[in-house]
Amino acid sequence: MPSDTTEFEDFHTQVAVRVKGFRPVVQRPHMLEARKRREKFTLDGNEYVLGRGDKATLLLDSEEVSRAHAKITRVDGEYTIEDLGSRNGITLNGLRVHAAVLRDGDEVQLGDVVLTYREGT
Amino acid sequence: MFVRFWGVRGSIPTPGPRTRRYGGNTSCVEVRVDDTLLVFDAGTGLRELGVHLMRGGAKPLTVHLFLSHPHWDHIQGFPFFGPAYSKNTTLYVYGPKGDDKNYQLLSGQMANAYFPVRFSDLGGKIVSRSFSGSSVSIDDVKVTCFGQKHPGGSMGFRVDHEEKSVVFATDSELDQLLVDPDIVQRDASALRELPDDLVSSVHGADLLVADAQYTDAEYVQKVGWGHPRATTVVDLAAQSGVRRLALTHHDPMHGDRDVDMMVLECVERAEGHGVELEVFGAREGVTLKV
Repeated sequence: MPSDTTEFEDFHTQVAVRVKGFRPVVQRPHMLEARKRREKFTLDGNEYVLGRGDKATLLLDSEEVSRAHAKITRVDGEYTIEDLGSRNGITLNGLRVHAAVLRDGDEVQLGDVVLTYREGT
Repeated sequence: MFVRFWGVRGSIPTPGPRTRRYGGNTSCVEVRVDDTLLVFDAGTGLRELGVHLMRGGAKPLTVHLFLSHPHWDHIQGFPFFGPAYSKNTTLYVYGPKGDDKNYQLLSGQMANAYFPVRFSDLGGKIVSRSFSGSSVSIDDVKVTCFGQKHPGGSMGFRVDHEEKSVVFATDSELDQLLVDPDIVQRDASALRELPDDLVSSVHGADLLVADAQYTDAEYVQKVGWGHPRATTVVDLAAQSGVRRLALTHHDPMHGDRDVDMMVLECVERAEGHGVELEVFGAREGVTLKV
């Protein structure tokens, strides 16, 4: 395929089409990084439960993290973190919050776990 | 009691990469106590609140809307407030006693010359309500209003519920109310005393959401424009025994980094006064539990 051509699936017909000229930005996923733990989580689902319990879909293995500490949900392409009534709460860049829409570079702390949000495209 | 910021910008909406973190929508704050929904100001952030409320379809909804004053950045979101178009919505618009100016100006901005949909075509039940005195009770929530210093006037509001309190006080030029107007020139670091009636309106609030538009350097160029030095807001909070101070009505010229710097300066000032006061910048999309 020539470099000035983009192939995509038409939204309405699901038929593969090619156009010349316009090239959309390559999508990059939203991420959560736990740098001290050297862990990275890719966010591509609509809802995650963060915690150390069995029902957590994003496991944070720390005694300072509640079993179901917080949830992260995607609405209109943006991720929001919300406290699920945890013992130690959530801080956003040092501020105690109940919930927050996440932005690139935000540091979210749950207990002793610090997560950095990396906004995708 | 939950407080969510939907719009924290002053003067004019300021979208773009410089304001992405704090947000570019103009003044709008939601205060929710169980099922009671109070909204303070109808700046462009109100549109986002409307989208949020309408998600999943129109539901029966009662909204109590309080306007600090009817300048553009405090009413411009109203014509785009989705629930106002729904017949399931009842919307009370509050104004001072015996004065429906807020209601008239809110509806007036939907005159044909400004907007394609007429106010009378909105599907919701929209009712003008006045304070009978200085306060109203809604369910078990008490809202008290107080006057502020701003060209054309503005109102601050205090919400009380079960020992918890939130004060919303935007567009208030505190620096024109100083008991000793020369104190800043004599000693910029000294506590700037504010009038007793204002201090008592704010006294002991768990959260004060207050206009903090200007740096000290900017303010001297903008005296009389209706907004304070951010540092003076810290002094109001300090002498009123406030626990948390959210700086809002961010200047449209201030990017995220500028707001961060103002917050740092205000944190330092609070420490200098020796008070336990948490200072931070109000940010769109953040919800606080009070």
